[in-house]
Amino acid sequence: MSLQILLGPQRPAPNLRQAVDSVDFDGPIVVITAGWRDSEGEIEELREDVGRPVEDLSLYQRAEEVFASEPDLRALKRERQDRLRELQGLYRIRLLPTLAAARRLMRAKADPDLLLLEQRAAISQIRALDRHHLRRIMAIHRDFDLRRSAMNIPLAMAQREEVHCMVKGAGLVLIAGGHVAVLLNRIRLFGLAGLLAQKPVIAWSAGAMALSERIVLFHQKAPQGKNDAEVLDVGLGVVRQRVLLPHARTRIDWGNRERLALFSRRFAPASCCTLDNGAMITLQDARVVLSARSFVLTRTGQKKALVSR
Amino acid sequence: MNPQIEKLFRDGVPLAGAVDDFISTHRFPLVQPGQVTFVYRGQADEVHLRRWISGFNTSLPMQRLEGTDLWALTMELPGKSRFEYKFEVVRGGGRDLVLDEFNEVQAHDPFGANSVCQGYGYKRPRWTLHDPEARTGSLTSLQVDSKAFDDRREVQVYLPARFRRSRSYPLLVVHDGPDYLRYADLKTVLDNLIHRLEIPAMIVALTQSPDRLVEYTGDPRHARFIGEELVPALSEKLPLVDNNNARGLMGASLGGVASLHAASKYPDLFGQLLLQSGSFAFSDLGQHQKGPVFDPVVRFVNEYRKKPFALAEKIYVSCGIYESLIYENRSMVPLLQAQGMQVNFEEARDAHNWENWRDRLRNGLTWLFPGPLWMVYE
Repeated sequence: MSLQILLGPQRPAPNLRQAVDSVDFDGPIVVITAGWRDSEGEIEELREDVGRPVEDLSLYQRAEEVFASEPDLRALKRERQDRLRELQGLYRIRLLPTLAAARRLMRAKADPDLLLLEQRAAISQIRALDRHHLRRIMAIHRDFDLRRSAMNIPLAMAQREEVHCMVKGAGLVLIAGGHVAVLLNRIRLFGLAGLLAQKPVIAWSAGAMALSERIVLFHQKAPQGKNDAEVLDVGLGVVRQRVLLPHARTRIDWGNRERLALFSRRFAPASCCTLDNGAMITLQDARVVLSARSFVLTRTGQKKALVSR
Repeated sequence: MNPQIEKLFRDGVPLAGAVDDFISTHRFPLVQPGQVTFVYRGQADEVHLRRWISGFNTSLPMQRLEGTDLWALTMELPGKSRFEYKFEVVRGGGRDLVLDEFNEVQAHDPFGANSVCQGYGYKRPRWTLHDPEARTGSLTSLQVDSKAFDDRREVQVYLPARFRRSRSYPLLVVHDGPDYLRYADLKTVLDNLIHRLEIPAMIVALTQSPDRLVEYTGDPRHARFIGEELVPALSEKLPLVDNNNARGLMGASLGGVASLHAASKYPDLFGQLLLQSGSFAFSDLGQHQKGPVFDPVVRFVNEYRKKPFALAEKIYVSCGIYESLIYENRSMVPLLQAQGMQVNFEEARDAHNWENWRDRLRNGLTWLFPGPLWMVYE
């Protein structure tokens, strides 16, 4: 049986303890705080919230040590990141006008028989572009993995083994939020996706995003006008058919129905679930068995409470 | 006539009690789309509205409303405008400048307070108000020995929430820093923008000059203090990113001149400049008319205009359209752009005051120092 509990940000009112108390587990608690980057491991507050001993897996720090001692691996990683960044820019060149066209059609007044098909076609174009982008990203990751596996790096192997041992022995894994790309890359680097799928996991904000199938960056109220959601990467795929939206209260323009409808239809059949402070979604074998203070975006751009089934 | 005042006089001259009710049940000035009506109550020979708006007659006579001690004036005002004002009350040969006692919105500066007229649709930005969810940074003090000034200068330093010596932070140096804290709520703004991830956690040095009319007008001692004394002292004592793109210099009015001047003397030091209502006085023909304080400013700006060069990577310039400096600021923009620098120029329906500068901080700071909000979900 797989169990994941997805939470919103832990400020101002943490609900991590409530989530931990709801899980029946045996063994120590380990936490991944790699998304905090150089603040990784500063978990005093988190320990207080949980009220039990928690050990940090130190994925960020371990990876930094490996990169520092292995210049070839560091160069390979740099190359991958540069390629991903460049690809993201190229994707954006096509994405922005495609989104703009779809938005225009969502607002357009015309004969419904004509308009409906044009709207559908426009949304299909965005979905096709997102799929294409993910395929290109996966190819870059595959290339990286292939070239990395040809390297013999004893320190990396030792680190990986140690981390795997800690996760296997843990009763519960916590994944904190933070920088979603850094977090995902570190989890991926240590090959933890398969192990995480077998363990009870509680993840919040970027941690929850990392567990999903694709990472969708979004902020509809950002300053300087950059506010069209974009697909960044494939996720770990532990949580399926969901696009997770931490900080939805402050990041989503709830007054703009057309925009939200487009967002929801773009990522369907995955459901777009909000994760604000206090939210909790418990998934058991991919089924929502418990849900609190989380909402789903509907096809018409409204929000409705996420209900357990 | 304003419809609310018209209603008060609908049945003739109102009694004192009706005027009391009118005053207590309305917010002043009376704001409608496109116009605003000022109301003063009291015995006087004359009452004038004194506006801090450049390019207009700043003193406008108010009309006494017949049979009452009310005085009123209606004027056009575009939406979302903001300006400061006082009433000038003439009584028994004397003239007093007084605040609008019915308007609780006031702006403060080192010279005192003014009443604030907020045009239709103006709302104070939420990011300027205390957010209980935002972690708060701290202020500390640093003494910097200055050979340039032959004295010791105290600089306040803002350290962001969760400051760690093990991390490296961008640096922003702010002229008139304590005034920015006091009158433009800079600390609250920094706390909020950092909390929202709209700017990175950064260290902000808040400088104050004991004689800004001299030191901020293109004084080489000041540039030396900033470039050779303050920044090295901060770099020695604090964990700063050692990169000019992670260093910014900022100021308003003469503080804008001081920023531009220091950046021109140390063009590789600061990648980011934030200049608000800079007093960039210059003279293309003949002598300037701004008084002797501006002589060194005009010398510096004339010289820079004659031989311009790139002095930063990005420059954010803002100015109110109700201030005379809009002319100087507008004319600086193409000159700066032509040197290959990225320039973001913002005009506001506002005047030369701290609240104008406060309200522009988000646009300026987030453009110069974009935060990690796109990638970070805490």
